Amino acid sequence: MIKLENIEKYYANKGLKNYILRHVTTTINAGEFVSIMGPSGAGKSTLLNIIGMLEEPTYGLYEFMGENITQLNERKRIELYRNHIGFVFQAYHLIDEMTVAENIEAPLLYKKVGSAERKSRVADMLDRFNIVGKKDLFPNQLSGGQQQLVGIARAVVAQPAIILADEPTGNLQSAQALQIMELFQTLNKTENMTIIQVTHSEANAAYGSRILNLQDGLIIK
Amino acid sequence: MFKLNLKIALRNLWRHKTSSFINITGLAIGLSACLMLMFYVSYEWNFDKQAKDSDRVYQMMTNITDNAGAITFTFNGTTTALGSVLKQAIPEIEIASRLSYGRINLIANGQNSFKKTACFAEPTLFSMYDYHFISGSPATAMANPRSVVLTETMAKTLFGTADVTGKSVRYDDKEDLTVAAVIKDLPENSSNRFDFLMPWSLYTILDPGAREVGWSDFSYLTLVKLRKGASAEAVNSKLGPLLKRYNNGDQQHFMYPLSRLHLYGTFEQGKSVGGAIEQIRLFVILAVGILLIACINFMNMATAKSERRAKEVGVKKTIGANRLSLIMQFLTESVVLAAISVVIAIALIELCFPMFNNLLSIKMDIGYFGFEIWAVIIGLVMLTGLIAGSYPAFYLSSFDPISGMKKKTRSRGFFSVSLRQVLVTGQFCFTVMLFISTIVIYKQIQFIKNRPIGADINALVELPQDGSLKDKYEVFKTMLLRSGAVTSVTHSSVTLSHHGSNFMGITWPGMTKPANDVMFNQVLAGYDYIKTTGIKMRNGRDFSEKLASDSASLLVSASAVKVMGLKNPVGTSVKVFDNQFTIIGVFDDYIWDAPNKSNNPMVIRLDDGVPGTIVMKLNADRSFQASIETINSITKQINPAYPVELKFVSSVYADMQHGEKILGILSNLFGGLAIFISCLGLFGLVTYSAEQRTKEFGIRKVLGASVFGIMRMLSISFIKMILVSICIAVPTAWMLMNKWLGKYEFHTSISWWVIGIAIAGTLLTAILTVGVQAYKTATSNPVDSLKYE
Repeated sequence: MIKLENIEKYYANKGLKNYILRHVTTTINAGEFVSIMGPSGAGKSTLLNIIGMLEEPTYGLYEFMGENITQLNERKRIELYRNHIGFVFQAYHLIDEMTVAENIEAPLLYKKVGSAERKSRVADMLDRFNIVGKKDLFPNQLSGGQQQLVGIARAVVAQPAIILADEPTGNLQSAQALQIMELFQTLNKTENMTIIQVTHSEANAAYGSRILNLQDGLIIK
Repeated sequence: MFKLNLKIALRNLWRHKTSSFINITGLAIGLSACLMLMFYVSYEWNFDKQAKDSDRVYQMMTNITDNAGAITFTFNGTTTALGSVLKQAIPEIEIASRLSYGRINLIANGQNSFKKTACFAEPTLFSMYDYHFISGSPATAMANPRSVVLTETMAKTLFGTADVTGKSVRYDDKEDLTVAAVIKDLPENSSNRFDFLMPWSLYTILDPGAREVGWSDFSYLTLVKLRKGASAEAVNSKLGPLLKRYNNGDQQHFMYPLSRLHLYGTFEQGKSVGGAIEQIRLFVILAVGILLIACINFMNMATAKSERRAKEVGVKKTIGANRLSLIMQFLTESVVLAAISVVIAIALIELCFPMFNNLLSIKMDIGYFGFEIWAVIIGLVMLTGLIAGSYPAFYLSSFDPISGMKKKTRSRGFFSVSLRQVLVTGQFCFTVMLFISTIVIYKQIQFIKNRPIGADINALVELPQDGSLKDKYEVFKTMLLRSGAVTSVTHSSVTLSHHGSNFMGITWPGMTKPANDVMFNQVLAGYDYIKTTGIKMRNGRDFSEKLASDSASLLVSASAVKVMGLKNPVGTSVKVFDNQFTIIGVFDDYIWDAPNKSNNPMVIRLDDGVPGTIVMKLNADRSFQASIETINSITKQINPAYPVELKFVSSVYADMQHGEKILGILSNLFGGLAIFISCLGLFGLVTYSAEQRTKEFGIRKVLGASVFGIMRMLSISFIKMILVSICIAVPTAWMLMNKWLGKYEFHTSISWWVIGIAIAGTLLTAILTVGVQAYKTATSNPVDSLKYE
């Protein structure tokens, strides 16, 4: 599904190259649950951002679903976001002015899904994540864990092929974190959804099927 | 999608109440000011354009030339002969109509008498103006010379109902006329207005001047209507050769579109050089400027909030929003805001309209049922929304997701900050210019007001001399003087302030030119004219009843003496037209025409019989109220058929500055609003800037920064912007206002204190606005600001 070859990322600063990623080469297949680990500043988030097409690599080849997307125009990228990629953020990044239901519905709106189908899918998500009672609340009325549930529901609702999660439990208490990780595992096992997460925690990483260890921009294992 | 955008927009407004309040207040005031000015502009713009064929109707104009053939004066008076000659000789002219100037005359139904505007016209007038006939018809309305057409209001005033066709009214206490038709009231914004209209055929019976078809009396108006497709230029070029046959080319006439006359009515050398249109242009600029100031507020607030919105943009982009949908969302937000503001604006207008009409002495109303008005309002909302929302929409939607979510916007904020500075500077430029203009206009008005009139108009009242007052003037005078209400009474052919009965037919000893080419103004006056009006005599004496020879004597103004170059004016004999007069006195010039013009030389002739205006000096020892009541009752006793129309001469003079007064009021009002809106925006910006830098200020305070130091940090950048805008605005305003003042022969100058007040005023308001918020921020507890995050 994802093929990275010799991905490099650096910032040139007064003629010095400041490397973030070096020679990253890996392949992630459909249905895998990959955890990217490493100390602070190892380049984990940058790698995830490159996979999520939020950043462009300085050098290297990146194939997403068999397509070379190293250089990608905006329209094509939005197309991929709408159909294949769901993002989960550490800070949840829900839209403050929208209710829970509207937040979940938003990707479907952009994907131009019909109204009836939108309603049923949102209802399905609310049901599945046990947040039916919260559907008319605004994000600031929810706890962190609940907000992240909504964030995941929003990522999943468009039925993406892959979920990219940047420290999804970083702001949560351990009990809530556990719940989120179990949810990811279920999604991965039952729906065969590809998941890539960045995490600090060994325990969280253990939920995945594979661990990519990054150190100073290099994959060490 | 749209529905959701709308919902989000409303939630956003609700959540950020301060900025919504600032935005909505600013926009509402801006919109209402803009709409109000636009109403006024459209009122003026549509002057004489109501009729279907108004573009084919022309007013005949007359040029007066001097001996060298240069045009010295252009006006709309024409002779009685012109109309029919044109109609016969020029095939392009479909119809021509002569009509009289509107004049105030008596109309009565039995004892109910009123003085209203009367007009005489030929029946062809009906095909030029689309009068709406309530009863009667254009074909029959003027068939009988002794008939009259009433407007609806006139009919109701006289009879209490509009259904009065066939009834009889009495005109000028002389003629009984039958009401032949009732028409809807004429639009306020049309020239040649009247309350009742009478046939030209009646005019020829009543008025010897109108009866005679000649080329010498310019007291009549001529309107012509061209055939469809006829070229006005072609007709105008035919006029010269044609008229040569009738009056040796002494008179030059040309057609001018009636619908343009109101706005472009100032002529120089026979060509239109503008007129009221200049004021209209000014108002359009004012309207757009105020709206822009309000829009700039919105843009500034939006960019100031951009950091917060950036996150939203980033998130939306990762869940599949494209730029267009984001632009649409931001535009929806601003249009919603504009829509809310326009509702408030309309309410504001409703509230202020009567006052506005009153201030400007016009009668406008908002035609809520007209299609155009809604088109304009909706158009304005869309436009305002687009202008106000464009910058945030295009700027914010360009954020890329990563930097948006990481709040990295400040690093790329260079452009936004500098644009914001430009906007604020522009805003205050306009404000300062308005400020200066307002003071200069006010100063000019005061200057004219305080210009010595040259006559003692305090406690001077005047009364039209009509009806029995013409014959019983002496009785009236005696009764008044005996009653003690007045100390002196006189009468003259025209009121003290008038537009001049100009003539050139005067010769004097020692004239170097073959004929005089300077316009003189002539007033015919009764005895005690100088005594009553308080005009200052320089040499000689007033007319005296004791000297019979005074019927051939003349009073001349100081400027007349100058023009004539007389060393010893008193006793000199001059010829006015064909009569010989002896100068018995020289008086100082006084202002009889517009106070901002230098008036031409003037002569006063004795004519104790001429009817016109009675002028009275109230007795200073009695209360004016009592005196006026006495005058009223004496007048009613002598002249029962006419209502008493007593006017204070001072108010007549004040009315002459109507145009300037409107300009003064509007610039005051809208200048004030502009300053208010600008300061509102400034307040918003400071609030946001303080909010963004809360943490920084908290840290600085912990490190020992003083309250004043923090206030200075927060304010200095704003004050700098305002200083820059003052530097730009002052010279610009100086230049523009000097140009404006140049239009007046008598004008004040822009003193340094005007600029000083404007600068001090703007800075003070700005510093206060910024200072309040800065003080609040600076004195807040640092712990509160450091606790969050």
